[in-house]
Amino acid sequence: MLSILSSLLSLLFLFIISCFFITSHFWFPLSLPKILGFIKITSSRDDYDNEQRDEGTYVVGVEELQRELMPRHVAVIMDGNRRWAKRAGLLTSQGHEAGAKRLIEFSELCFKLGIHTVSAFAFSTENWGRHKIEVKCLMSLIQHYLKSKIQYFQREETRVSVIGNLTKIPESLLRTVQEIEEATRSYKKKHLILAIDYSGRLDILRACKSIVKKSEKGLIREEDVDEALIERELLTNCTEFPSPDLLIRTSGEQRISNFFLWQLAYTELFFSPVLWPDFDKDKLLEALVSYQRRERRFGCRV
Amino acid sequence: FEAIESYAITLGLNKKYGSIDLEKLRCLAVVVDIEAAQDVANVVELLQWLTTIGVKQVGLFDSQGLLKKSKDLILETVPGSMLLEEIEKDVTPDGKRIALEFISSSDNKEAVMKAANILLQRYLKSSHPEDDKGEDFFTESHLNDALRVVGENVHVPDLLLVYGPIRSHLGFPAWRLRYTEIVHMGTLKYMRYGSLLKAIHKFTGVHQNYGT
Repeated sequence: MLSILSSLLSLLFLFIISCFFITSHFWFPLSLPKILGFIKITSSRDDYDNEQRDEGTYVVGVEELQRELMPRHVAVIMDGNRRWAKRAGLLTSQGHEAGAKRLIEFSELCFKLGIHTVSAFAFSTENWGRHKIEVKCLMSLIQHYLKSKIQYFQREETRVSVIGNLTKIPESLLRTVQEIEEATRSYKKKHLILAIDYSGRLDILRACKSIVKKSEKGLIREEDVDEALIERELLTNCTEFPSPDLLIRTSGEQRISNFFLWQLAYTELFFSPVLWPDFDKDKLLEALVSYQRRERRFGCRV
Repeated sequence: FEAIESYAITLGLNKKYGSIDLEKLRCLAVVVDIEAAQDVANVVELLQWLTTIGVKQVGLFDSQGLLKKSKDLILETVPGSMLLEEIEKDVTPDGKRIALEFISSSDNKEAVMKAANILLQRYLKSSHPEDDKGEDFFTESHLNDALRVVGENVHVPDLLLVYGPIRSHLGFPAWRLRYTEIVHMGTLKYMRYGSLLKAIHKFTGVHQNYGT
């Protein structure tokens, strides 16, 4: 009854405001977003009070996240560290540090929610074009975090994989990558994939080259080359779920930017205006609710 | 609020959308879900709107190729429309034309697979040392060439509009999407001219760093 009344009030407000909007050349007597926000909170509060929740269930607004509808693989393009730092009056390096910290929290929450694989676009092939000092700082930061978190990932039984063209990264970082991959290889329930010096196009090309080499050795015939074979040769062959169900990109940009090009064909794309270091638990839950809402309606997981 | 704003834009009440500089929008792609692709009328109306706005090149995609099957009907119904490959051959400049390209899933992974096969055959037929890593045969430009050989367009769309309930590009040719701006527009059945104009206008203000 209360929710019907709230809906009627909402319609009435919209009608009044549309009259102001059209006849008064966009002058609002009150802030429209604030009015609509108030109406939404009022109705959601009424609905929330009327329902019981199981302990430990995540509720976002009026929606409950369902474990069985969780994506198996969430990918994230962590955009906005530099803008965040500039806005906060900090150095770029501090922005990237905040971003690294955010990734740990993000993946921790994803695994807690039952998501199996989290992949993060940490450094793209195009990023080599940034200022040398920034690149050096990023490589150091990645190395520091990976090195300092080996025991953490072992304790959490999380497998860590690093994919990309690793021939250009510093030798010390490469050793740390090998160390963490070796130390966590046996874990199967949670998988964190870091894409470093990764390019979606080069991944596809690499897969083609790999097929050529196998063909030369007589391991495959020319007629065996199909989509599935190419997919098995991509760098995401390290995971049981190579195609993300959900891709999140932060900072308002609405592009894939040469991340998992082949793998994202049917992936739900969630573009958030929030800068990556600010993409906290609430924002992640919002993205998951949006994903699950579509899953419930269209059941489109491929 | 979005609906109200869209109507206001359609009525020309917001001067910001009065004229749009389309220099940055050389190639627009539109993805429609299967349900929408079955009703060509909405697609035709969308194309007419795009022609009015001044868009010159549109790639139409649906995963099952239903729009490809309706190609002739669409070309007959949308004034000034021609197939992209026909316009490329036509030397007569005509500002009122809109070039259309019809794309489906077979132009995505299957096309890359065929192009990969071409590169494989070229490599195997060539005389190369045993330890050759194939760097001279497997570059981005080689794959672009091979895709053209199998009949694919390799132009990268500047903007991709997704019409459907799902916020996904539904298998649009991945090779072409590297830096493409992607905007989810909702279902085609409830499309609004004002929303279309707003999305295109917003795109013209986007600045890309391309990772640097």
